[in-house]
Amino acid sequence: MKNRLRVLRAEREWSQGDLAKRLEVSRQSVNAIETGKFDPSLPLAFKLARLFGTTIEEIFLEE
Amino acid sequence: MWCISNPAQSRYVWRMLVAALLCALFSALAAVGVRFGHLTGVAAYLLAILPALPIVGALVVTGAYLREETDEFQRNLYIQALLGGIALTLSMTTIWGYLEDFARAPHLRLAWVYPLFWIFVLVSFPVVWLRYK
Repeated sequence: MKNRLRVLRAEREWSQGDLAKRLEVSRQSVNAIETGKFDPSLPLAFKLARLFGTTIEEIFLEE
Repeated sequence: MWCISNPAQSRYVWRMLVAALLCALFSALAAVGVRFGHLTGVAAYLLAILPALPIVGALVVTGAYLREETDEFQRNLYIQALLGGIALTLSMTTIWGYLEDFARAPHLRLAWVYPLFWIFVLVSFPVVWLRYK
């Protein structure tokens, strides 16, 4: 699934490792989500949305 | 590639090491018991089952890890590697069974199925991992 994670992360000048630490997941997990190879569960998607102060629909885009 | 990155994984590795050590210990105990104990009947059966108990325990430990792992991506990778291990083990043992029946291939002891499963999990893991690289 396409997403805007890389952009949102870049706006805050966070590395993948920084975001992983905030989400309490591995850096590989962030990379897999960011590149669209792994779709997160709803709880993790909500956690992402809360972290970036936005909605799930603003992060993940329907293809 | 795969390294210990959270407490659940650390616990999993330790528990698996304990299971492996118990398996080695119980195997030695069973071998000594059979050789010198001259056991028969129920006692022999119980002694023979002893090394299998930590093996069953290791499967329970694996299930516990999957429940305790909080990183869903890592859990997903490991589940795929386990499925790869199951698929390869079933395929290989089925093919070997037919080879034994029709091509007179040497007999494969059932005790080898479990180590083979973990070897196939190890083989599957990098393949799964590369898909997400």
